[in-house]
Amino acid sequence: MEKVDALVERLAQDTLPLRPAPHPYKLGLSWLLGAAAYLVISLVVSGVRPDWLQQLQHPWLQAELILLVLMCVSTALSAAVLAFPDMHQRGWLTRVPLVLFGVFGVIMLLAWHADQPPAPLPIHSFECTLSILAAALLPAAWVVYTLRRYASTHVRRAGSTALLFAFSVGALWLRLHEVNDSVMHVILWHYLPMIAVGWLGLSVGQKWLRW
Amino acid sequence: MPEQVDSLTLLMQKALAGDKGAYAEALRLTAQLLRPYLSKRLNAASEVDDLLQEILISMHKARHTYDGQRPFKPWVFAIARFRLQDHLRAHYADPLRHAVDWDEIEETREADVTETAIRYESITAQIGQLPEKQAAILQLLHQEGYTAREVGERLGMKESAVKVAAHRAYKVLRKLLDREWKK
Repeated sequence: MEKVDALVERLAQDTLPLRPAPHPYKLGLSWLLGAAAYLVISLVVSGVRPDWLQQLQHPWLQAELILLVLMCVSTALSAAVLAFPDMHQRGWLTRVPLVLFGVFGVIMLLAWHADQPPAPLPIHSFECTLSILAAALLPAAWVVYTLRRYASTHVRRAGSTALLFAFSVGALWLRLHEVNDSVMHVILWHYLPMIAVGWLGLSVGQKWLRW
Repeated sequence: MPEQVDSLTLLMQKALAGDKGAYAEALRLTAQLLRPYLSKRLNAASEVDDLLQEILISMHKARHTYDGQRPFKPWVFAIARFRLQDHLRAHYADPLRHAVDWDEIEETREADVTETAIRYESITAQIGQLPEKQAAILQLLHQEGYTAREVGERLGMKESAVKVAAHRAYKVLRKLLDREWKK
């Protein structure tokens, strides 16, 4: 008890002003704006697929892209909320990406069903996953680095959500860059690896977000 | 309890504005609030104290994530739960958590073997009734002052066997003495 009292006295003397954490919506928005800028720069550098205007007329691709954007938004806000010990008392936000991922899965299955006759599979396969991972590295490092400045008490979930956000940004970039209409390929090499990335994020969070 | 939480929120608002006294009071009240929570989940009082200190330090480190605009209790309990889980995880991951310090046991056992409330000389008659080996062990331990290990070396026995034999001898002696005292 005496030790606790002494500690209280010591801590009370150390009230150096700390920069207060921003509101999670503000934090999430900063990540989203950064990701948007990164996406634009990446597309300018790598180039948008030449038939993008025509392709955007397809309702399944529209739904896919809208859901990918929503995944980015929801994972960014979710990771921002998870940066706070009490999730800023908005724990419900952390469940939104899961719901969206479910909807996304259903949409992709419907798109695959509607892909008749199926578009030819491209020659490449895992290269797409590697490209997305490479594109996601910078956003992932940025979000994890920022998260380390706060005090997450759900480090595994925070790590997983941060990596899913980065991977969604990478997936969005590749979808707008790659000339490919095979839904099967996209499911197999663009979106299924998301599950592995989410899994990997649990370990990243455990290792890098402890404080 | 809600009144205390409200006062804590108010104190934290003042603390965030730079009031050192309010911060000290908030930390003290938080310690009071968390102690029963930890006591219910941990056995040793020393563990509760150590963890409580760790939580207060964590709260101090994470104070920039509390803005004073939302209830304080969920924030501080989230930190407490996080640190408690860490503590329990480390505890259960420790393969030696059930281990007993043999040095301590040795000391205790040797103390039991060599220190008795009754003097050896006053019970020589009863010792004479013991089997020869047990009597010899007690003589070496209590009359000549050897340790269990030394007795073992002299009699060609393991130290543990000496201790076991000594304990058996004590049991018999206790019975003999009880019987005599009852008379």
